Amino acid sequence: MPTVVLMDVSLSMTRPVSLDGSEDFQRKNLAVHGLTMLFEHMAANYRLEFTSLVAFSSLWELLVPFTRDYNALQEALSNLEDYDKTCVESALHGVSNIVQQEWGSSCPCQVVLVTDGCLGIGKGSLRHSFHTLKQRGDDKKFPLPFPFPAKLFIMCVANAEELNMTDAMENLEELLHLNGGEGQIFTMDGPLCLKSVQTMFGKLIDQAYSPFHAVLHCGNLSSDVQVFPRPEPVVVDEEVEPMPRTVNTEVDEVGTGATDELEEEASASQMAGKSPNFCVLLHGSLKVEGMVALVQLGPDWYGMLYSQADSKKKSNLMMSLFEPGPEPLPWLGRISHLGPISEAAENPYGEDDSKSPFPVQPQIKRSYAQNVTVWIKASGLQTDVQKILRNARKLPDKTQTFYKELNRLRKAALAFGFWELLKGVADLLERECTLLPDSAHPDAAFQLSHAAQQLKLASTGDSQYAAFDHNIVPMHTDFSS
Amino acid sequence: MKMFSVSHKTAFVVDHCPYMAESSRQQVECDVLTKSRAQGVIPLAPVSKSLWTCAVECSMEYCRILYDVYPTNKLVNYIVSDSEFHILNSWRQEDQSTHELMAALAAVGPPNPREDPECCSILHGLVAAVESLCKITELQHEKRTALMDTAERVANRGRIICLTNAKSDTHVRMLEDCIQETILEQNKLAAGSDRLMAIQQCELVLVHIYPQGEDTLVSDRPKKEISPLLTSEVHSVRAGRHLATKLNILVQQHFDLASTTITNIPMKPTLNVCEQEEQHANTSANYDVELLHHRDAHLEFFKSGGTSRDSGLKETVTLKWCTPRTNSIELHYCTGAYRISPTDVNSRPSSCLTNFLLNGRSVLLEQPRKSGSKVISHMLSSHGGEIFLHVLNSTRSTLEDPPSISEGCGGRVTDYRITDFGEFMRENRLMPVSESAHDPSGKLPAERAKAQLERHTRYWPMIISQTTIFNMQAVVPLANLIVKETLTEEDVLTCQKTVYNLVDMERKNDPLPISTVGSRGKGPKRDEQYRIMWNELETLVKTHAGATDRHQRVLDCIVACRSKPPEEEERKKRGRKREDKEDRTEKNGSKDTDDKSWQDSDRSGMLDKEEQESEVIKDSPDSPEPLNKKPRLSTDEVQPPERAKGPVSLLSLWTNRIAAANSRKHQEFAGRINSVNNKAELYQHLKDENGMEVHENGKASR
Repeated sequence: MPTVVLMDVSLSMTRPVSLDGSEDFQRKNLAVHGLTMLFEHMAANYRLEFTSLVAFSSLWELLVPFTRDYNALQEALSNLEDYDKTCVESALHGVSNIVQQEWGSSCPCQVVLVTDGCLGIGKGSLRHSFHTLKQRGDDKKFPLPFPFPAKLFIMCVANAEELNMTDAMENLEELLHLNGGEGQIFTMDGPLCLKSVQTMFGKLIDQAYSPFHAVLHCGNLSSDVQVFPRPEPVVVDEEVEPMPRTVNTEVDEVGTGATDELEEEASASQMAGKSPNFCVLLHGSLKVEGMVALVQLGPDWYGMLYSQADSKKKSNLMMSLFEPGPEPLPWLGRISHLGPISEAAENPYGEDDSKSPFPVQPQIKRSYAQNVTVWIKASGLQTDVQKILRNARKLPDKTQTFYKELNRLRKAALAFGFWELLKGVADLLERECTLLPDSAHPDAAFQLSHAAQQLKLASTGDSQYAAFDHNIVPMHTDFSS
Repeated sequence: MKMFSVSHKTAFVVDHCPYMAESSRQQVECDVLTKSRAQGVIPLAPVSKSLWTCAVECSMEYCRILYDVYPTNKLVNYIVSDSEFHILNSWRQEDQSTHELMAALAAVGPPNPREDPECCSILHGLVAAVESLCKITELQHEKRTALMDTAERVANRGRIICLTNAKSDTHVRMLEDCIQETILEQNKLAAGSDRLMAIQQCELVLVHIYPQGEDTLVSDRPKKEISPLLTSEVHSVRAGRHLATKLNILVQQHFDLASTTITNIPMKPTLNVCEQEEQHANTSANYDVELLHHRDAHLEFFKSGGTSRDSGLKETVTLKWCTPRTNSIELHYCTGAYRISPTDVNSRPSSCLTNFLLNGRSVLLEQPRKSGSKVISHMLSSHGGEIFLHVLNSTRSTLEDPPSISEGCGGRVTDYRITDFGEFMRENRLMPVSESAHDPSGKLPAERAKAQLERHTRYWPMIISQTTIFNMQAVVPLANLIVKETLTEEDVLTCQKTVYNLVDMERKNDPLPISTVGSRGKGPKRDEQYRIMWNELETLVKTHAGATDRHQRVLDCIVACRSKPPEEEERKKRGRKREDKEDRTEKNGSKDTDDKSWQDSDRSGMLDKEEQESEVIKDSPDSPEPLNKKPRLSTDEVQPPERAKGPVSLLSLWTNRIAAANSRKHQEFAGRINSVNNKAELYQHLKDENGMEVHENGKASR
């Protein structure tokens, strides 16, 4: 999940931190120290994540666009300059734009706001933003909640007492509230020093940047894996299942057979590069066979593993998480009801892989697959009547189609209580009968008047003739003798 | 949407009183005469639908869309009301289909205009609907049972859609009051019953239908709260297409649907989208088809405010048909798939598109843009007779440029049993098992699949150089059988035959495909090879011997038949493994110093495997003797190119030199001199002597 670091570079960040007799640090230095620690952690454990750095005061500037190059981030951090006053709202607008331009609005992001808790004065201050919150038009909406799923982590280079003396804490809490409660405020404990800033960023790392280690099992074969990006807990239904579901760290492979996508890679230790690893074996075989493996991530939560190659011929093992639930892909049926093929009398894939037991067909066909009758628009009804007449003129060649269409219309008319239509079509058929040319086959006249009579009987609603499941059958005629 | 929101249960109450037999006064000309036949023929008078027909067909359309998009767990209970109520179906899943409902409606027939209007009322149906909403559904029952202690989390909410012809606003208020009272009464009843649940929330949607050309007697009213239990809204609509439009909007609101219009659908014969249309192909019309689906498929648009308003009330997102391209690499990953339902299901363009998709073709959809590059954001495709709108990620992906798996753990190992594991995966493939098929073990099919995986992996070496038996064709019958849960008498015989065959091979002194990777010379002696093979086979069978007596008999057979050198027997008693390890280090010790130099000179080449072999095999039942290592003339060929390119360290310069110097001290092997591409065929003498193919006993070495 990408991260935007939003760094306050207003003048108040240059306030010196009173340290007993040692060098004079500014709050900015502490903030930079904390971020350095975060970047170092990410470079070591999270190197596949994208991070960008934005500095803000009354204006904002994108210092480093989203990158995996933590040196670039570090360098930008060491070249920060000092500007005027804090203006959180415009900076958050900036973040919103940067993220949407890069990742669209469905990719979850983490925003790390680093500030000293001085949230500006006058116009543009956070206090001012909140005061005017309710008097805004659609074009000047407050940037929170972000249009994309986002967690907001506010890192205050200040301690809680200090923030509580003004309305700073209150305003920061309001900020978090506007983000739907997603995120957390971190403050420094005790005196402002390198150690306490380390502790604070350490908490952030534990909370939001802990690497996701898991074990992938396939029977007795197993492999330690790390998953990028970290799979986040999901709340399926806050009413029936209010507890968020988390991915089990013991991942079970069930067998081989949209959504968040996860990339998984074995933790890259060069030392271990030479002992065999199950992930590499699995990846190789999945790739060669063009198969995917089903993985169980928790109770009623599944995903799949497959080999994904980029255009540069590098490939890796990818894990896609399905939506939690017993039947994430309808065409597979219930996952718990997938069994081993060895139980079948005959291999459902065929001896030469020519068949497949998938997709599982739904019990009832969808409307577009079953030739339903809809007469909402006049054209629908006209088409159906014309179809019957067209076939009527080609009797007896089209006898089967004629009766099929006739019965379809009959059923719908009965269901809709549209008896008038049955009478009308009966009249039409009788008219067709009178218009038959002399050369017409004698059977045509018989069938037309038979059909017309049957429709008329049905239109009386007489249970003998108007039963829904009854079909009008062709009149039995024999002209051979 | 919550699992048990008001959308879980929808009760349709349709008025069947005599006034519903009245004509909607919307006439349909169904006798369209062609010019050539028009002369002298009097066209049939246009037909017109009754209010009842309009109500029924629009409610069926509502259900059709609902069932297309939500085949399960969004349930309809259809009730008809005249002098009494008629419940046409139940909440049960098997009753949820338009076909069932149409059959039931046909049995009801149109309202009888001669029935006494005084006896008839929509109220009968509304009361029945409230009673019905109290009835527990299969899903509610299932979840309540599953949640046990927290069963109260299963809510009971529902919606009543009432299609009627009301007399006045006062009449509507009377109906609302009556529903409110009934809910209170029924909730009291429900409190004392297991099969009933009290209604926590009920949403009444009253649709007043009146004929065309008349003024309405009932006014529209947005949703308002009648009580904490009941909300009510009133829609006053003319019969005919206005009613159809209204119910189409309602089904979208009620079930979080959104609309996508596919535009620019070509009817060119080459694309075969619409064969019937080919005759008119020269008109080259491009058609539009509107589809409904869950609104999450538009998440990206809603957030960025990109929805376009089509004509009138309707809100739809227009996406362009994108002529299929062959280059599938451009496809981004899919983030969701949503069922669709065509708005106009049996129109020609709709059915052409859906048939095209049902036949297995896919359609990419792009966002219409005036300038800039194509943005493909969606794809239509069917799975198992159902069409899904797939959402494709159209922005930058956080998954771009992933590292290669070869850079990670075990990435440098080159002799994985890829083909064997592919075979393993194919044997462990899954298939759908019908829910009714009950297994005596009481295990679900997926649990049985996992149990099979467990059995099949009890002994499964991952690399070729770690195994002998899995490189031998002769062992295959036994290896395939022993992993089975149960063995037949015949299976045991086959296993025994395999063992006897191995004994025979040993007697004839047949060669074994012992890994000689990295070794110079012949490798272990023949009897040592067989010892390794027997040990490995024993390990495999031992992991299964506990399963049944028959499994045990296979192990017994091996133990009885295998050869064991006497000193080995002796060693076994003293704890073989430890001894073995010491043994090896002792033997290795003397050579270590000489060999190290050239080993270092080529870390990543074939020699690695040897190093690894000695690493890995200590876990296996027995280890081969460390091999006599002999220097080779040239190491250039096996150096991977990327190594050769990189900067050269002092150590490797030195070791290369030493290696070169050492290699000059001996004569080249005959095999290497005669080799093709640095590969020499082994055991050629056997071919010459016996005329026998070496590969008969071992799979071709990889």
